[in-house]
Amino acid sequence: MHRPEISQSRLISLATWFENMPAPSTTLKKPNYGEQIRAFAPVLVLVGLVLVIGTLRPGFFNLESLIVTVADTAILFILGAGSTFVVMLGSIDLSIQAICSFASVIVALMLPTYGYGFLIVALAMGLVAGTVSGVFHVWLKIPSFIVTLATSGLLVSAALLLSHERAISIEESGRAYLTWVNGSLFGLGSLRLPNVICIAAIVGALGIWCQKYTPFGRYSIAIGAGEPATWASGVKVNRYKVLAFATSGALAALAGVLMAGRQGSGSPNLADQLLLPAIASVIVGGTAITGGAGGIGRTAVGALIITIVRVGMTFIGVNIFAQQIVFGLVLILAVALTIDRSKIVIVK
Amino acid sequence: MAEKAFLSLTDVSKAFAGVQALDRVSIEIRPGEVVGLVGENGAGKSTLIRILAGVYRPDNGALLLDGRPLTLHSPREANLNGIGIVFQEQSLLPNLTVAENIYLGQEKEFSRLGVVSWPALHAAARRQLEKVQLNIDPAARTARLSFAERQMVELAKALALEERTERHLVILLDEPTSVLEQREIDILFERVRALRTRASFVFVSHRLDEVLHISDRVYVMKDGKVVAEMPASETSVPQLHRLMVGRELHAEYYREARQRVPGETEVIRAERLTVDGSYRNVDFTLRQGEILGIAGVIGSGREALTRTLFGFLPHTSGTLTVSGRPVRSSSPDQAAALGIGYIPRERRVEGLVLSLPIVPNITLASLATVMKTGAIQTKQEREVAENWVKKLHVRTPSIDALCLNLSGGNQQKVVLSKWMNAQSKILIFDHPTRGLDVGAKEEVYDLMRTLSEQGIAIVLTADTLEETIGLSHSIIVMRDGQVTARFDAPPGNKPKQIDLIGHMV
Repeated sequence: MHRPEISQSRLISLATWFENMPAPSTTLKKPNYGEQIRAFAPVLVLVGLVLVIGTLRPGFFNLESLIVTVADTAILFILGAGSTFVVMLGSIDLSIQAICSFASVIVALMLPTYGYGFLIVALAMGLVAGTVSGVFHVWLKIPSFIVTLATSGLLVSAALLLSHERAISIEESGRAYLTWVNGSLFGLGSLRLPNVICIAAIVGALGIWCQKYTPFGRYSIAIGAGEPATWASGVKVNRYKVLAFATSGALAALAGVLMAGRQGSGSPNLADQLLLPAIASVIVGGTAITGGAGGIGRTAVGALIITIVRVGMTFIGVNIFAQQIVFGLVLILAVALTIDRSKIVIVK
Repeated sequence: MAEKAFLSLTDVSKAFAGVQALDRVSIEIRPGEVVGLVGENGAGKSTLIRILAGVYRPDNGALLLDGRPLTLHSPREANLNGIGIVFQEQSLLPNLTVAENIYLGQEKEFSRLGVVSWPALHAAARRQLEKVQLNIDPAARTARLSFAERQMVELAKALALEERTERHLVILLDEPTSVLEQREIDILFERVRALRTRASFVFVSHRLDEVLHISDRVYVMKDGKVVAEMPASETSVPQLHRLMVGRELHAEYYREARQRVPGETEVIRAERLTVDGSYRNVDFTLRQGEILGIAGVIGSGREALTRTLFGFLPHTSGTLTVSGRPVRSSSPDQAAALGIGYIPRERRVEGLVLSLPIVPNITLASLATVMKTGAIQTKQEREVAENWVKKLHVRTPSIDALCLNLSGGNQQKVVLSKWMNAQSKILIFDHPTRGLDVGAKEEVYDLMRTLSEQGIAIVLTADTLEETIGLSHSIIVMRDGQVTARFDAPPGNKPKQIDLIGHMV
């Protein structure tokens, strides 16, 4: 059984109070330019940043260096893409970095001995972790940030215990299984397109397709924008919520596998610094933190913005440990600029 | 009783987006008097009360207090001028104590250096509770009180205004009896009578006998206007009723000529249907093409029954058979799968995803119909939406317009399209014309007749009795959770409202 959350029922009682208030008039509003600018703002910001960095460091426009930048973005994008569906629902997944690290540990420990099967095991672990979070969220009606925070704690501990608190470098016999991560299938002459870019592109294309052409994508937006109406239209709201968390978990695990492949090692704190940038890329791209609007294409733009900010900071010489300060600020700023306060009654 | 009015509204008008909620209304309130205010839903009672309470500001006309014009910007300002309100939906915060609720927002008067003196607060609260002769501990949590006790606390809270203003109080009672038992109503009325030395009261209720019982004078409202004003001793329930409705049943208005004899096939059968605490032992059947009206006041169980039929509130005992299949624990998705559609009263919350365009809203309940090999066919989906928009004459510049920007009537048509596209065989209409203007109402009535002609069965919970009688093939009347009467309502031989009212109160 499903019941709207407390804040929702609060809204409903407000609606009852003003029930005699007729709907807005038939005269249709003029197109809202503010809203349109808001929709394109992330792309404009991205173009602006590229131009600024390009001017300051002409070498940036070199094709090779652009490819490196995009490759650096790939894993961040995959993490963000997973949580995009969750954010579109109006929830949040704080366990992605733990799932990602745990997946890298599984790969590092098991791959050399047992082979490709353990790539599947790592991905399945992410899927199960996400599903469990989702089920607890909808079944016990625990806010998503609490459930995923708990899942995250659990997985971090599990990863620490399994790895004996150390980074595990993947033995030579295991690296053979990961050549597909670092290799390059496509390219022109000496210019090679790393596979991780292709993988991210496939994830992105699949995500956009799901969002546009499957009930899952459609209902995710609908639930985020108006859960009571979606529920009252006979949609199995809980099922789709769980599916969103499962997707988020599986993609986080994929990101973990890719990271292990690129770095040649797995570690229980491999992705610790990625939670903030990953969520920031979703929000900076323009997916509403309150749910109901956004998409994976936007997350791709957001992830590129985050990477370029990172490149820029390194270029200016910001201490690498201070970069999280900037990401925190960027996140707050992005939410503050994109949130539509007219639709929000109470924020908790 | 010829005392001069101290608070009056003169020629007050208020419109919401083109709908005239109040049209040059004048009323006056004299010291120590209980003024009754009656009218159908949508007659403008609530708007009037909310203007007096400072929630709304009138477009035209004046509010006069002791002959001086008064502009109220907020409920707080109304309070400071001696106007208090006891809400229909209670406004007390259940997690606070009685004393905290009574003096909510005024803790400063009881605190020194930011620390509240509880003994002082409790003593003051006890004084207020004495006025309504309620013997409870001011430190008790409000959630633990009975509904009737809470109502008394609300009254005490309103009376506490005495300490903040020199003025004679006016207390607005907005449907205060709708959820009270008879014994509790008697107590409330006794208190109100005893308190007339302290305050004047404006009493809003749809229970006409109660209004006559407690009031000195009665105002009758209809379509945003005051149509009559008279001493309560000189009128009667039937007369008030005639004034409220203003006309005999209008056969044309409800498209009675289009009412057909329903089909033979039974689509819903309810036997001894019960939801503990809401209603019990309800029996009825619904046939193809039949419109079944459910009549009853708030608290009669009819709203809960409506919610059960769409799976929001599963029944606790009895049986519900839909299209020959028994329904056990239900939910909206199960109800929708059984071919039931729901047109909710909260159209903007449960009817539509407002911030999405028309297209996804129309296919929300039937996405499978526009899918092929696992993918939504967006072109086909748009054609489907376009088709419904044309068929139902939804007035919109495009099918990509957000539902947010449609008028109430057009929003309702999108909700209907949603269920028609899902090919629902049974539709639950929960207050389908609420908030709609007359033209939009007639369009909804037309659509309901068309649906009925096509064999779709309809359960109707309407805003007014007139609507229930005018539209329905048959009517069940509920009171206190039970069915008290059943009527056939064939065209040309409709039951009278007064016949139904007898079984409602």
